[in-house]
Amino acid sequence: MTKWPSSRRLRGAKVEIKLDIKVVIQAAPFAMAYGYDDALAGRSDIGAVVSFTGLVRDFNETPDVTGLTLEHYPGMTESTLIDIGEQAWQRWSLQAVRIIHRVGYLAPGDPIVRVLVASAHRREAFEACDFIMDFLKTRAPFWKKEHSTQGEYWVKERHSDQKDAARWN
Amino acid sequence: MHLTHLNALGEANMVDVGDKQETRREAVASGRIVMQPETLKLLTSGELPKGDVLATARIAGIQAAKRTHELIPLCHSLALSKVSVEFEVNLADSCVNVTALCRLNGRTGVEMEALTAVSVACLTLYDMCKAVDKNMCIEAIQLDSKQGGQRGDYQRTNVQTPIVTGDGVSGEVSVGERFSPPCVRVKFLAELRERVGESEAVVELDDLTSRDISGLKSALVQRDVRFSVLTDQRTLCAINQVMANDDALVTDDDEVAFFPPVTGG
Repeated sequence: MTKWPSSRRLRGAKVEIKLDIKVVIQAAPFAMAYGYDDALAGRSDIGAVVSFTGLVRDFNETPDVTGLTLEHYPGMTESTLIDIGEQAWQRWSLQAVRIIHRVGYLAPGDPIVRVLVASAHRREAFEACDFIMDFLKTRAPFWKKEHSTQGEYWVKERHSDQKDAARWN
Repeated sequence: MHLTHLNALGEANMVDVGDKQETRREAVASGRIVMQPETLKLLTSGELPKGDVLATARIAGIQAAKRTHELIPLCHSLALSKVSVEFEVNLADSCVNVTALCRLNGRTGVEMEALTAVSVACLTLYDMCKAVDKNMCIEAIQLDSKQGGQRGDYQRTNVQTPIVTGDGVSGEVSVGERFSPPCVRVKFLAELRERVGESEAVVELDDLTSRDISGLKSALVQRDVRFSVLTDQRTLCAINQVMANDDALVTDDDEVAFFPPVTGG
C-alpha cells in the first residue's frame, strides 16, 4: 500500500499552507472508518467531517451482477486524484482530504471508494466531498468490468456523471 | 504455527469446529489456462465442438465448490451462501483467467471451495477444448484473499493482472528498454486493450505523418485496421500520464496511453 501525500504548496499564497491530502489505491478491502482517525489526529480546529463511501451494487447494467473487476492506470490514477484534491483545496477552505479506491476483483456489497473531507464548517465539507466524487468519476483512470449471470462486459460511462461534473464549471 | 489437520500422534484428523463462532467467511481464488491463440478464438466465438465452453465451465466450478468435501478428505461439508465463477479472456497472453468467490456464514473457511471451483472450471475448459488443442496448460491456481475466521484476513500481495493496466510502477512513467530510433511507446488500456488484442506497441517517430496524437493514430491504423477504434471520438488519450488531445505533440520516448471513458467510483 503506497500512500500519496500531496506535498505541493499553494502558489501565490502569502502564507505557505501544507495541503493535507492523501490518496491510496489498493486491492485490499479498507475499513468503513478509513481516514477518520488519521485526518483528525491531534487537531481541534476541524468542525465538520463529511465522507462518502461507494459500494458495489448487485444490479447495474444487468440485474444480476455477481462482481466486478476494476482496472486502473498506475501512476496517472494517483496523480489525477491528488490533482482533484488540490482543486478542491483551492475552491474551499479545507483541513484534510483522504481518498481511497480499491482495484481488482470486488463482490456486491464491497466498498469501492471512500472520500473524506474535513473542514471548519459543514457546507464546505459537503460541497468539497461532492465535487471530489464528481471529478473522480469522470477523470480518474479507473475502468469497471462487470460480471453477471449473463456474462461479463465493460461498464459504459454515464451521461449523468458528466452532467454532475459540469455543475462545478 | 502447526498443521491443524494432524493430531498429537501425527495422524490425519478432522478439526472439530463445533465450538467456533459463526462468522461471515469469504475466499477468492484464481487460476488460468493458457492455450493457442486459435483455440481461444474458437472459444470466444462459440465454434468449439462441445458448445458454450464458458457457461459449462462456470456451472462445473460452482458444482465442484459445493462438493469439495467429497474430494478433499478432511474438508467439512459446507452450506455455501454464494459461489461465483468468472472468466476473463486475455487475448494478449492467450489465456482464460478464472476467478472464484465462495462465501458463507459458518465456522470454517471457504478457501478450499474457491480453489476447487477454479481447478474444476479449468479442467472443464481443458475438456471442452482438448479436441483442438492438447498443449493447453493450467497454471497459477492460488488463493487471492480470504476474510473472516480466527486467523484473520489474508490478501495475496502480488496479485497480478488484470488489476493493473500497464506495467508502470506507481508514480513513475515506465521507462522500458530504450529503442535506438526515436519512438513512442503506446499502451492500450481496459476495453480498448481487448478490442485491439494487445496491450502495448512501439511506433517509430519517422512513421508518423505528423508528430502529434492524430499522426500516431493514423500510423497505427495504417499498420492494422484493428486500430481504427482509436479514431472513435470516445477514445481518450494521455501523454506521459497527462490527458492530451489530437493536436498534442509527441516526442521521443513518450508513453502514450489510449483508453475508453473512465468508469470508476
